[in-house]
Amino acid sequence: MPTVQAQLRVLIIEDDKKLANALVAGIEAEGYNVGHAPTAEEGFFQLHSQQPDLLLLDLTLPHRNGLDILRQIRREGIDVRVLILTSHNNVEDRVEGLNAGADDYLGKPFSFPELIARIEALLRRVLPSTASSSLKIGDLILNTRERTASRRGVSFELTAREFDVLLYLAESRGRTVSREMLAKDVWKESSRFTPLDNVIDVQIARLRKKVDDPFEVKLLRTIRGLGFSLREPEA
Amino acid sequence: MKVTLRKQLRTRLTLWYVAVLGVILGFYVVLVLSFQYALVTRQIYHDEIQEVVTVEGLLFFDSHGALQLQQNYFSHPRSHLLIDRLMEIRDLSGVVLYRSPTLNGMSLGGPSLPREGGETFNERVVKLADGSHAFVISHIHSMQGRTVLIRLGYSLAAFRERMLQFLGILLIALPVTLLVAGFAGYAIAKRALSPLEQMAAAAEKITATNLNDRLEIENPDDELGHMGRVLNHLLQRLEDSFVQLQRFTADAAHELRTPLASLRTVGEIALRGENTVDVYREAIGSILEESLTVNQTIEGLLLLARAEATQPGRERTSFSLVELTGEVLSVLEVLIEEQQIVVEQGGQKLTSAIVVADRRLVRAAIMNILHNAIKFAPARSTLRIDFTTYETTQRFVQLSIHDRGPGISPSEYEKVFDRFFTSADQEIASKSGSGIGLSVAKLVVERNGGTIFFDPTVSEGARCVVRLPSPDAKSGAGQYA
Repeated sequence: MPTVQAQLRVLIIEDDKKLANALVAGIEAEGYNVGHAPTAEEGFFQLHSQQPDLLLLDLTLPHRNGLDILRQIRREGIDVRVLILTSHNNVEDRVEGLNAGADDYLGKPFSFPELIARIEALLRRVLPSTASSSLKIGDLILNTRERTASRRGVSFELTAREFDVLLYLAESRGRTVSREMLAKDVWKESSRFTPLDNVIDVQIARLRKKVDDPFEVKLLRTIRGLGFSLREPEA
Repeated sequence: MKVTLRKQLRTRLTLWYVAVLGVILGFYVVLVLSFQYALVTRQIYHDEIQEVVTVEGLLFFDSHGALQLQQNYFSHPRSHLLIDRLMEIRDLSGVVLYRSPTLNGMSLGGPSLPREGGETFNERVVKLADGSHAFVISHIHSMQGRTVLIRLGYSLAAFRERMLQFLGILLIALPVTLLVAGFAGYAIAKRALSPLEQMAAAAEKITATNLNDRLEIENPDDELGHMGRVLNHLLQRLEDSFVQLQRFTADAAHELRTPLASLRTVGEIALRGENTVDVYREAIGSILEESLTVNQTIEGLLLLARAEATQPGRERTSFSLVELTGEVLSVLEVLIEEQQIVVEQGGQKLTSAIVVADRRLVRAAIMNILHNAIKFAPARSTLRIDFTTYETTQRFVQLSIHDRGPGISPSEYEKVFDRFFTSADQEIASKSGSGIGLSVAKLVVERNGGTIFFDPTVSEGARCVVRLPSPDAKSGAGQYA
């Protein structure tokens, strides 16, 4: 959970009630103050009255196109980070959205862990990343400079890809990482229609063999339907 | 709108036809009139020359020295024109010696011209004092020791009147003729174009629901028949793709319904009665997994749509197929290692393994083919990858991927590329994925000007052959580089 100084505000402009309610609940659970507007007009009102730090914007709204809203926000110079959520998910739409002034773009259906990761990335963007060259999860130590990993002084032989996966999981600090996130961020596969799920599963299984199998405490966990996380088991 | 356009075509045809006919007829009238005029004038000239010779024989000076014309001449008129003859005779000093009564005392051509009638007949048209015109010739004649100038002419009034009448008749007949021709032309054009009208009416009735209707063709050999045949072929192709689309939509719905059904059932069963948290966790996890399957199917369908919409030539670059395959192999490396598959590569040093295609789409295609091959390959088997060139009229780079898996039954060589194909073989079907991987590959390869097929000659496993066009000087494909 983020130990935020003051609660950061997130506004969701989304006309689908079910999705909006789920998002409100999910993002509130992450420690944010969340508002919701089902229409563009309502959204604008809240945007001015609540001055959120981040706006989750659906592009297909009744009456008014989300891109219009985005352009107006940028015209008026409102200081808010904008993350577009849309089912129009091809490259051209993405470019158009980013050109209109969005900070990030997430295609529906998205995985919730990824949404949270993006939100955090956007809100933390200004903060410097940790300068430390080592990461510690339980007794697992990752040396990012030498790209080595060890547990209780026993270091493992990791392939470049395995280290990347492990590092990505470690940097997510115990959060769940979906297969899509791994495909996008570690394998750098932009196309969603690539049979990477098998590859990722096998890769994780091999990683687990090295990182977890010889030890009693298991760090690398598979959460069915969601993805993977690397964290110390709660007592 | 269509009706006026069609009528316009008919009207335009008729107008053109009438205009051309009018010009031709006008030209014809002018030609005939000029020819006639020239002919008659020539005739008058000859008559006048003969007449002068005759008159010369009849002239005499009487005892008083006055010039006389033998009057018996009139009793044997040689031609009716003689009665209308105009004649004036002068001596060389210009004094008028004789004037025919038909002149009524008017001068025929005014004062003498220098050397008039000496060398030529000086044929000319002169205007008389009463305003009429006459065609006149002059001739010097010596008689009884004296030299006189004979001027002889015929009035052109009657002739000109005839000509004007003739012209008048032609000018009245011309518009009438054109009008008749126009109506006839319009009727003919209407008749000739009537199959077009019928075809248009038939085509208007054709919608998505009766695409199997065809236009009736009266005469398949004429231009309209040709057009009708072309339209019918177009309808055939439309119908084919429409049927394909319908089948595809049905298949897609089925393909989406299957995971949705399991998703629903899992949810319903989990909510039945009180369960432990672990049961709920398990159920929700399963639902999420199924939802990912649904999403992947949708992504595949979108990729198909995108590949289908790809315009030839757009987004194409030159790249090395060897390099691309290596890239894909490195992504799939863990799977290969896990199954301890031995990858043998041949011909990857092929210098010209450069192809011209949409790299992103081809990568997805090769990824699907290789993933398939690895999926079906038994553990510790050999996967053979070869690069060669293949030439027909064009140069291709050929990539073949030969796995030692269960292979493809001969009846399914074509069908494996169908969307949502599932093998009749249960064991193979159980390993199949969304069922559109290979159809995406086929679509991508073909849209990029290549071919893809399974080699029917292999005895073991399956050998997928992909040919992609390579840039060569001949086809000028290098422009995409």
